[in-house]
Amino acid sequence: MSNIKVEICIGTPCYLMGARELIDEMQKIKKEYKDKIELKSLHCIEERCEKAPIVKVNGEIYEEVTYDKLQKVVKEKLARL
Amino acid sequence: MGLVIDEFYKSVPKNGQVVCGDNVEIIKNDLETIVVLSDGLGSGVKANILSTLTSKIAVGLIDKKLPLIEIVETIIATLPICKVREIAYSTLAVLKLTNDGYAHIIEIDTPSIFLLRDKKVEKIPMEERKVIDKTVREAKIKIKQSDKIFMVSDGVIHAGIGALLDFGLGWEGFARHINNVADSYHDLKNMIEKLIDICMAYYLMEPGDDFTVLGLSFREKRELTMLSGPPQDFKKDEKVIFELLEGPGKKVVSGGTTAHIVARELNQKVESTFDYYDKDVPPIMKLKGMDLVTEGLLTLNKTADYLDKHKLGQLYPEGKDGASRLIRMLLATDYIKMIVGRAVNESHQSLNLPLELGIRTQVMNKIAQSLKKLNKDVEIFWY
Repeated sequence: MSNIKVEICIGTPCYLMGARELIDEMQKIKKEYKDKIELKSLHCIEERCEKAPIVKVNGEIYEEVTYDKLQKVVKEKLARL
Repeated sequence: MGLVIDEFYKSVPKNGQVVCGDNVEIIKNDLETIVVLSDGLGSGVKANILSTLTSKIAVGLIDKKLPLIEIVETIIATLPICKVREIAYSTLAVLKLTNDGYAHIIEIDTPSIFLLRDKKVEKIPMEERKVIDKTVREAKIKIKQSDKIFMVSDGVIHAGIGALLDFGLGWEGFARHINNVADSYHDLKNMIEKLIDICMAYYLMEPGDDFTVLGLSFREKRELTMLSGPPQDFKKDEKVIFELLEGPGKKVVSGGTTAHIVARELNQKVESTFDYYDKDVPPIMKLKGMDLVTEGLLTLNKTADYLDKHKLGQLYPEGKDGASRLIRMLLATDYIKMIVGRAVNESHQSLNLPLELGIRTQVMNKIAQSLKKLNKDVEIFWY
């Protein structure tokens, strides 16, 4: 069972605004932490497309996510495990 | 026979050349397919211009519905003769094949056509006649539903010269390879790819001449129904989904929001994937009952750009990304029913996209136009 669930939106706006780079980087982090991170893609979280890219971490929604921001959130959560 | 003709070819330029001296032109209508293969003398740009000239003139005259033999006579009379080598600047092979299997073949200075019947190559008996100072070979035969026809340029017959063989593969040699390939491959596209590989191997991967392999076969008509975009009036969601499900052939959905609407109406779940193979094309999705579910805007734009450049007979793109998959499905289909929703996607408005990228109706129209040029029957239903 994974401890941290990261869901990245891959709808057109999110994809254009950098979701692909987020996926790339998260896949690298996942290799390091293996089962502790569950990585998923999904579509259009609550119509927040204006704030793309959108990522959900353990159900919590993050807007205008950059890689640095996502990495920080994930690492903080990993530290608390 | 009520069937349609599939045609594919691949041309490989001589080692070190950028363009190929062989040229293929294909014209198609609802009743027949006409293929013209021309091989320009020598290789490179000069040969390319000569063969393009010859085949374009031939196709232009055929389009004017002149009798085939008259066209060939005109071309022979016009073809310039190389002063040094005293031969015509380019060769010509013309094949007219009707959907009910009547073939008319004319060949000048080109290897004879290969007829693959019951997994064995046969040579088609040809009548010879002199036109001006050229020997023209001509045949009219009935082709069976299960037959395949192969046309090649002499680079195939000469494969191996300067490499593995002293005198090249020869007509019989290539016929043997067609027999072998027919034993293990069924699909025309795969057979052509394989035959090209074989020629490349004889040339030790450095072809000493331009070469082309072209194949034709019959198949049943294929149909496809494609839905893209939510309808302007959301009350029509249900109707649009009904149109999709009741539409003919394979089912394709293009667009994330659209996929979710289909899923909602079907009481299913859209399964997102992470597998992206092309950085410009978002991953495909999965939805029970649908043959392909892609992202919308980016995938469709990529598809439209590709189809705009695609020439009849060219092999399909190989990629595993959503656009390549969609392109392959569209190209392999004869009738395409497009259901296009005109709802404006609010989320795209905030992105300041270039105008032509942002408008679904334009992209879908562009795709439909390109498909029509490739002789596909396309109908668009707007919602």
